[in-house]
Amino acid sequence: MVLRRPVDCLLGWVGGLIALATAGAFAWILWDLVRLGLSQVTWGFLTGELSDGGRSGGIGPVLVSTAGILGGCLFFAVPLGVGCAIWLSEFVRRGSPWARAVIGGVDLLASVPSIVFGLFGMTFFCQKLGLGFSILSGGLTLGCMILPTVIRTTLSAMRNLPSDLRPSSAALGLSRLTMLREILLPSAFPGILVGITLGIGRALSETAALIFTSGYATRWPASLADSGRSLSVHIYDLAMNIPNGGANAAASALVLLALILAINLTASGLGERWRSRQTGLRN
Amino acid sequence: MAKLRISNLSIRYGDVRAVTDVTLEIPEGKITAIVGPSGCGKSSFLQALNRLTDLIPGCEVSGSVKLDDQCLFAAPALDTISLRKRVGMVFQRPNPFPQSIRRNFEIPLREHGTPKREIPAIMERALTDVALWDEVSGRLDQNAGTLSGGQQQRLCIARALALNPEVILFDEPCSALDPIASMAVEKHIQALRGRFTIVIVTHNLAQARRLADSVAVFWLRNGSGRLIETGPADDVLSQPRDPDVVSYLNGLNG
Amino acid sequence: MSRSHADRVVEAGLGLTALLSGGTLLLIVWFLFEGAKPALDFGMLGHLFGDGKWQPGSVRDPQFGVMSMLIGSLLVTGLSILLAAPAGVLSAIFLSFYSPARLARGHRRLLELLAAVPSVVFGFWGLTVLVPAIDRLHPPGQSLLAAALVLSLMILPTIALTSVSALQAVPVAQLQAAAALGIGRPRLIWSVVLPAAWNGVGAGILLAAARAIGETMAVMMVCGNIAQIPASLFDPVRPVTATIALEMGYASAAHKSLLYAAGLLLVLVTGALICGMAFRRQTETSLPRSWS
Repeated sequence: MVLRRPVDCLLGWVGGLIALATAGAFAWILWDLVRLGLSQVTWGFLTGELSDGGRSGGIGPVLVSTAGILGGCLFFAVPLGVGCAIWLSEFVRRGSPWARAVIGGVDLLASVPSIVFGLFGMTFFCQKLGLGFSILSGGLTLGCMILPTVIRTTLSAMRNLPSDLRPSSAALGLSRLTMLREILLPSAFPGILVGITLGIGRALSETAALIFTSGYATRWPASLADSGRSLSVHIYDLAMNIPNGGANAAASALVLLALILAINLTASGLGERWRSRQTGLRN
Repeated sequence: MAKLRISNLSIRYGDVRAVTDVTLEIPEGKITAIVGPSGCGKSSFLQALNRLTDLIPGCEVSGSVKLDDQCLFAAPALDTISLRKRVGMVFQRPNPFPQSIRRNFEIPLREHGTPKREIPAIMERALTDVALWDEVSGRLDQNAGTLSGGQQQRLCIARALALNPEVILFDEPCSALDPIASMAVEKHIQALRGRFTIVIVTHNLAQARRLADSVAVFWLRNGSGRLIETGPADDVLSQPRDPDVVSYLNGLNG
Repeated sequence: MSRSHADRVVEAGLGLTALLSGGTLLLIVWFLFEGAKPALDFGMLGHLFGDGKWQPGSVRDPQFGVMSMLIGSLLVTGLSILLAAPAGVLSAIFLSFYSPARLARGHRRLLELLAAVPSVVFGFWGLTVLVPAIDRLHPPGQSLLAAALVLSLMILPTIALTSVSALQAVPVAQLQAAAALGIGRPRLIWSVVLPAAWNGVGAGILLAAARAIGETMAVMMVCGNIAQIPASLFDPVRPVTATIALEMGYASAAHKSLLYAAGLLLVLVTGALICGMAFRRQTETSLPRSWS
């Protein structure tokens, strides 16, 4: 007993110190961003145009481009991803070769590095389909990237539904379409929303896949066919290519972090609600 | 008058033969109880009567089931949607849709083409039949999951009644309920006698005695469920012929 | 009849979405392969591993030595795993067995947030804070060490969170059995919990390795991007991902097809790591654990 104690103590302390250091690093990053950038974040910064290569001025056009890219991304990934997940959970048997092939492909897609998505997006959307460096190209590229997130989350939402919903719907003579539309999808909806939210979070964070698909333009985008930089690309450009861009980069990073935080809280809030609804049903 | 004619019905899941060679007639307007030890194919048999077996991967059904004179499995087969409107089912675990009480009626009724304005009256009648109307009439838009287990099961019965089926299948409808809720549900099934043809699977022999007009006993023989005795409830339950059934009934009575 | 017809149309439509979703990967691999073909046809292999330098754009003396970049990728990834894996597993042990429940919950939320921080923000912070600090210690600052540190901070949450789930998946009955035998906490963790959780922990580390080797922005911003085999921790390096990001804007001909080949290589390596992970996990559990 006496001999065991020191090991126990040591393990506890080392683990605790590492946890503390992780928290400390996070705090350090946040503090530096706040120190460098918080004073810049004003209403004028959020809505204003860029000037002097981004060193001064705001990020209005960048936010609009980011929204455009996100829109294109969701337009592509949500119908495809949700459709695929429904097919996997309702229309094929779980272990069947087709289901395994699709799930395997989707999981491998999730492992593809983002820079490779960039390379692919540039070749396929920009060049092959002739969309050029545009918000649409960037959005579609990100759409491919977040597809696995949407599919996996929707699939687990569908599979976690109470298993007796399906026989009880069938016993009432509901067609599969009605069962899906009226029973399964409404029940799984919060879970699907969590998947979409997680996908938005991933898309917002992405830089490498966008540099060579949606481009660098800093003007107000006129349409989806216009080039436009996302918030993350803006931070990268200010940090790497624009001398003395640090303050505005930090401010943009703060804005991005705030967005990500909001997305994350929404997702976990939705998840909570979904879970409590599920358990509420089972009591 | 037989409502359902089952002849030489066999059900297999892959290599497992769940039910072998069952021939049985279900009389119209009567309550038929299916009894027997667990694992002898009672539920599988019941699920074949509204083709819920279709939902089970790898399940094969052979033999014939006729509803009136229409085949369920052989061509020209009844399509499953109209079949299941005519043959309703209530499950062991209450399974209302996780939506409002009202939606639980609207969804199936709309599916089968009932005009919207007729739905409230149908819903009220069905809920009154199971004595649930007074308890829930003030909160029809609440989630059905907020009801107690017994109320949920009565809601499920009412939901099946609302489609005005010809046959209702009950799969151990009381076994997930407490004794008081169980007696209430049993009383409502009792009250449906004559209006509907009822098939009830139960492992509660006392319940079978109280409810049933005729009884069919299933037994596991050679690794598969078989029908070993059938007839009017009084005959089968008081003077069984098959030695296994004798000891089964005695064991449970003693 | 019309209803079952509608059912069939819906089924076909959904099947199509599944086909497209599964097909996206094939499309990507196909385009990479098409792009990389010239590089694979040129008889380039000798150049790739024989040439000493990477100057693919040079007109007079094009050289295609990729060893320095492959080694760069391996070093950056390996070092970051070396730092993050023990730290992640230890913090998971702390969270599961030592810390008060409330603290553990809070720290998990923090790890989830840290995992959600965009890589460009890590890169920016590394560039403005970490690199100058390393520069004071040993110039030039942009270095293998900076890249490994930033990357390890990025993958630590992945390893810690997957390890926590793996540790908590160990059946309580086993813990009770060990406790009833009077086994102390360290031995319990070492002899009972870790052997049972090892597959899950290993899967988390493989997932983190796949993320690390594919990471581009954060690494590119702090590693210095000089294609050389580093002699020390403080020398600049250039991993494969950074090369693609830096050069795909202007590359042409053989150079460009080499970048596609590099992309193909990345897909193969991360794919192999993910297959390894799936093999370790062997169950078809859902990915997002934050809400399930």
